[in-house]
Amino acid sequence: MPKVFNWQLNREMEYPYPGALPKRQFAAVFDLNKCIACQTCTFACKNSWTVGRGQEYMFWNNVETKPYGGFPIAWDARLLQMLGPQTWAGDTYTGKTIFEAAPADRAVLGFLPEEMDWVHPNIGEDETSGIVERGMHLTIPHKVWNFYLPRICNHCSFPACLAACPRKAIYKRPEDGIVLLDQERCRGYRECVRACPYKKVMYNGLTRISEKCIACFPLIEQGRQTQCIINCIGKIRVAGWIHQPADADLESPVDFMVHERKVALPLYPQFGLMMNVYYIPPVHVPLPYLRQMFGPGVERAIETYRAVEDDEQLLGVFLLLGSTDKWIDKFRVRDGQAFGYDSKGAEIVRVPLKEPTYVRPFFDASRNVYRHNIT
Amino acid sequence: MKTRGKQAAAAGGLAVVGTLAGLMTWGGVAFAQTQSQLTSAYVATGLPRLDPASPAWANAPEIEVPLTAQAAVLPILGTPSVPSMRVKSLHDGQWITFRLEWSDDTKDMQATAQDDFRDAAAIQLPLDHSLPGVCMGVRGQTVNLWHWKADWQNDIDNGFQDITAAFPNFWKDYYPFAVGDPPFRAPTDFTDPDARRFIVGWQAGNAFSDPVRVTPVEEMIAEGFGTGTHREEQGVLGRGVWADGKWAVVFERPLVTSSEMQSQLRPGGTAMMAVAAWNGANGEVGSRKQISSDFRLSIAAPAGASAVTIPPAPRQNMYWVPVTVAVVFGALTIAAALAGHLAGAFRRQRADTAR
Repeated sequence: MPKVFNWQLNREMEYPYPGALPKRQFAAVFDLNKCIACQTCTFACKNSWTVGRGQEYMFWNNVETKPYGGFPIAWDARLLQMLGPQTWAGDTYTGKTIFEAAPADRAVLGFLPEEMDWVHPNIGEDETSGIVERGMHLTIPHKVWNFYLPRICNHCSFPACLAACPRKAIYKRPEDGIVLLDQERCRGYRECVRACPYKKVMYNGLTRISEKCIACFPLIEQGRQTQCIINCIGKIRVAGWIHQPADADLESPVDFMVHERKVALPLYPQFGLMMNVYYIPPVHVPLPYLRQMFGPGVERAIETYRAVEDDEQLLGVFLLLGSTDKWIDKFRVRDGQAFGYDSKGAEIVRVPLKEPTYVRPFFDASRNVYRHNIT
Repeated sequence: MKTRGKQAAAAGGLAVVGTLAGLMTWGGVAFAQTQSQLTSAYVATGLPRLDPASPAWANAPEIEVPLTAQAAVLPILGTPSVPSMRVKSLHDGQWITFRLEWSDDTKDMQATAQDDFRDAAAIQLPLDHSLPGVCMGVRGQTVNLWHWKADWQNDIDNGFQDITAAFPNFWKDYYPFAVGDPPFRAPTDFTDPDARRFIVGWQAGNAFSDPVRVTPVEEMIAEGFGTGTHREEQGVLGRGVWADGKWAVVFERPLVTSSEMQSQLRPGGTAMMAVAAWNGANGEVGSRKQISSDFRLSIAAPAGASAVTIPPAPRQNMYWVPVTVAVVFGALTIAAALAGHLAGAFRRQRADTAR
């Protein structure tokens, strides 16, 4: 089996095809500290792409409550259990990926969820990690916790769905790294559904073939960000091009957060897919849980995140999240403002690092009244 | 020269595939070796049409073909469930019909739920019968595949199997451009071209998603594993019936057709043939299947020694009325399709193969 280099594991790994990275790669960063599970992203995606007959329970974007929620049920816990110990030596993964742990009869370790696993898209909503006892809320930090995990297809650099399809009906676009499923070639075998560790390829029982997130490529081709990103009312998301660490473009918002500040981390990097949606980990969640989910960079990411007040560059990028529908190719921070530029270098957005405030006198002499609101 | 080069390439490819086939063992089951030869017997009249239960099959010669789990490409079938298939064939000089029968305790006629897999069976016939079609052919040695699917049969027998096949009364409040009132049903409430856009497989022309079927048999061409490609022109009829723990499926087609991308079968001639079976309840789909090795099909010359006598059909069997109508309709459809597409057929099929 060919070897490919996966920087998220800091080592080579086995993959059924030789590595062929696209000319540029779609990526996104989601800040989990800001997600409130309002599901606006879910609705934006659903209304755009999966309103048809046969897609009723198909959510290319979903938001689930961790630690117990999941769509489909227990998608991650089941695979983590199958995969066995996932050990790291420093930044190097020493356990097995789902390609390396594949059983002899197929290319990828995985499981096919049952029908009933898909019919509770938000099971476990708002559930906490434990029982909240009387008075517990007065103790800081809180002893119980939860957080919301919004998920789309990760448009992986080494997709498991693509590796598992015996018909090569799944392909990765060389121009932007978006992973697409050919609706003409697919024959509904569900090998991709079985193989994708994130369970982001879904079977349509009406058309009897599978479908997946298309990263809103018609929008990206027009220089815009995806529906789930531009409709996020919490402004937790941003899309951008990501490069390999050695080629990182520090003016690209995604490269800056992932490679320079290392504040955004891959989801379950140990699966080995070199996935391309990155998460800023929630700062209130116990580290062992976060290390399992986001790898060994978690502590540093949280430290960096907590110190953002003193990091003008990072603060500037954070403020560009959700600031524009357009695709931000590069960013700059200067004079107390963060600027976003398109691929031609034209300014498309600017946001102040500090929201300007105006304070009026408490007493309004002209009307001889005291003001209730002076800012 | 060109043809010779092509044959050499095909032979080279086959040597590799042959080695693979030799290595094909899984769970201690050796790759099936059979010296069997199937004779397609000639009948002057009364060829059974689309009826696996017809008494006409009683006197047809039969062979039992051993099947083994596909183990040459991933994913492979770990636990085989269909050890053999009983194969018969008859022809009347114009049409040829095959009957496959195998044991299957479960009747899996749906592929609607996430974990539903259909029962299926296939016949493989190479275009060039001087070489075996081993493993879905190789580059330069194209094979025809006739793939019968139980859920397609269900669509034909009982109407298109909507989501309601798995979940009765299933619908949501609104579907874009759907007509009618809830509960909405495909395809009748989704005939507006704008409504079709939201049923993507159908819009893309994928045969699996087509809610209006005329045959449960899909005709494909292939040049190796993973290359099976739906033919634009479909010309194989069929019908499958499950009873008493057994599937009996018939396939039929004119012996000779006008397309160079269809296997030609001539009375008095021979052909290479292989069969395959899928048991949906065992999660079998795609390359998770059991296959036979190639065997020789001998097509009896008209009025030859192997002609068989068809016993008279029982008079009370009124099934013949709709069957006759269906056959006549099917024949007319195929004739029209062949005539209409004859000119551009070859070029189009080459394009399909390249894809």
